Amino acid sequence: MSYSEKIREVIEGSDVALFMKGTPAFVMCGNSDRALKALRRAGAPVTAVDILPDPAIRQQLSALSGWPTIPQVFVKGELIGGADIVEELERTGELERTLTEKLGDAYRDGRAERVVQL
Amino acid sequence: MRVYQFRHIRAGGQCSFGRYDRAVSVERLQGLLEQGFPDAEHVEVVDRTGGGDHFHVTVAAPVFEGLSLVEQHKLVYDVLAEPLADGTIHELRISTRGTG
Repeated sequence: MSYSEKIREVIEGSDVALFMKGTPAFVMCGNSDRALKALRRAGAPVTAVDILPDPAIRQQLSALSGWPTIPQVFVKGELIGGADIVEELERTGELERTLTEKLGDAYRDGRAERVVQL
Repeated sequence: MRVYQFRHIRAGGQCSFGRYDRAVSVERLQGLLEQGFPDAEHVEVVDRTGGGDHFHVTVAAPVFEGLSLVEQHKLVYDVLAEPLADGTIHELRISTRGTG
């Protein structure tokens, strides 16, 4: 399976997908950390993908999403943004609203973090 | 001792080169954004770290009105596609606001 197909699978199959530099246990970039922390504060059930193992992952992700930078956050298959937007959505309360809308009232119950390797 | 002085001088030289470089980058991004958003009420580029590659850009323009944040930031990425691709920008923070 190509990276593109695997990326698509993660985006479409995860409640909240976070493409980041490093992993939640070992974050390698300040912006990935900002996005992860905002998602954690909102209680989001994060599925994290480290894009660093192969530059092709990032290239194919950006080609799919039309978003040039990392991190990238998807909720139920839809790109909601990078670190700036996720923090902004958290500040306005819209992050929790979107999570509730798309994942249901009990979305916090599934908040365990998953890490997927492509 | 001599070695230390030599290093010291070289470090100074690299610093001033860095300063020059950074001014060019801020000006270049500012120019691209003003060109890309000719109706903007506000365009600002801040070099966050002084290294000439971590920027925070702020754009307030009527074109953002009614768009989602993702769509707004994508417009900024489009305008800055070249410096994003050629490595001028290592890290970019974006703030956008509609002014319609």
